[in-house]
Amino acid sequence: MIRDLNKICDQKVFESIFNTYAKDLKRFLYFKTQDMDLAEDILQDTFVKLWDNCDNVSYSKVKSYLFTVAKNLFLNIKKHEKVVRKHQKQFLKEINIESPEYIMLEQEFLVKIEKAIADLPGKQKKVFLLNRIEQKKYIEIAELLGISIKTVEKRMHLALKTMKEKIGRV
Amino acid sequence: MDNNKLHNNNDFYLAKWLEGSITDEALKEFVSEEDFLIYKKIYQGLLVFEDLERPITSSFKDIQEKIQQRKRSKIKQQMVYWSISVAASFLIIFGLYSTFKGQTTIIETSFAEQINITLLDGSEMTINAKSEVSYNKKEWKSKREVYLQGEAFFKVKEGSTFTVTTNRGSVIVLGTMFNVISNNDYFEVVCYEGKVKVINNNSEYILTPTKAFRIINGNSIENWNSEKELPTWISGESSFKSVPLKYVISALERQYNLHFDSSKIDDSLIFTGSFSHKNLEIALASVFKTMHIHYKNKGNNVFVLSLN
Repeated sequence: MIRDLNKICDQKVFESIFNTYAKDLKRFLYFKTQDMDLAEDILQDTFVKLWDNCDNVSYSKVKSYLFTVAKNLFLNIKKHEKVVRKHQKQFLKEINIESPEYIMLEQEFLVKIEKAIADLPGKQKKVFLLNRIEQKKYIEIAELLGISIKTVEKRMHLALKTMKEKIGRV
Repeated sequence: MDNNKLHNNNDFYLAKWLEGSITDEALKEFVSEEDFLIYKKIYQGLLVFEDLERPITSSFKDIQEKIQQRKRSKIKQQMVYWSISVAASFLIIFGLYSTFKGQTTIIETSFAEQINITLLDGSEMTINAKSEVSYNKKEWKSKREVYLQGEAFFKVKEGSTFTVTTNRGSVIVLGTMFNVISNNDYFEVVCYEGKVKVINNNSEYILTPTKAFRIINGNSIENWNSEKELPTWISGESSFKSVPLKYVISALERQYNLHFDSSKIDDSLIFTGSFSHKNLEIALASVFKTMHIHYKNKGNNVFVLSLN
């Protein structure tokens, strides 16, 4: 059975489109919304919309379709929450700067973090990513790599220290 | 600055803090206030970084689940209106449900009824007795999708993807002739011309002319060949090939507006044969006599079946 790659209304094509664009789209949405859960919701709704309209979207225009739909979904939500947000911003200005939970994460900062991680020395980076991305505990990492827990802790500690030095001031 | 005189336990306090073994307060004892804020912010940043970097397979699963739910609720919405009982008379309702998205056209056939419909693009549907078909006229140009409960024969003109969706599976075609039956737990597709793709439970089957696909009770899947050029019910006769008697009885009920009490017989027996739409006596005889089943008319369109 020959699969026509131009047909988005095909399970496998749809899935490969998802794998290609979902991460970027979610990132884009996170910085717009500053809310990971909301970004995930809009991400999912965007792809559901793509499936609904799969007959009308051509494969070559898929990326711009996805981002446009996502942006519009976000704008709709923003419109309704305009009043709420106004109050929120006011509230944030009054928050003590020493409570970092309320500091919004700027894209610049995330890029700094990503670069710092990428620049970590090999051994530290490996341990660090196993712990953060794959959610493995230190004891699991130690077993996995055949090293002691102390060594894992040392590498994690040094990684964080290096990151702090690179990233510098808040 | 790290204090080399500290116990071994405290040497890697950052690692311990990150995994939650020591608290923020404890960390503050090792680093300056300023540094603490930076570490806190880095931690926030890491949470975002991880979420964006993590594999998104669960997101895709959620998306598929959402798509399935929308399909189900669409069909449910339209079905709810038909639980209102109606007299056995001819009914077509157009554009009544404008409260739904766009305008859905719903066509329902009654007992012994067959309707021929020509769609906006020239495609034709012949709908058998006690069936229901619905589609959206407005979206027809771009999206040819029809919901079916019951039995219908389709003659599809070439064009955009034509989809028939039922509770048990979907049929996708590009331009062809095929028959779909979806009744309770009986789902069958026969291809007469062209090529048809059947989607059932995440599996796909391609049917070419004379090929048929059938799934009963969600379990047994059969692939077989049909010898006719058109379904026979269009010309007044329903035929069955190796079908459990239960479904033949249902077809009789729909055709003749009857009810059969089959509690005394085994209705899983396999039947091959046909019955006429034009004569009840002959129809009953052709189904039950060959199976050695006795039928008794109890009045009010009720027949009791028993063994001889």
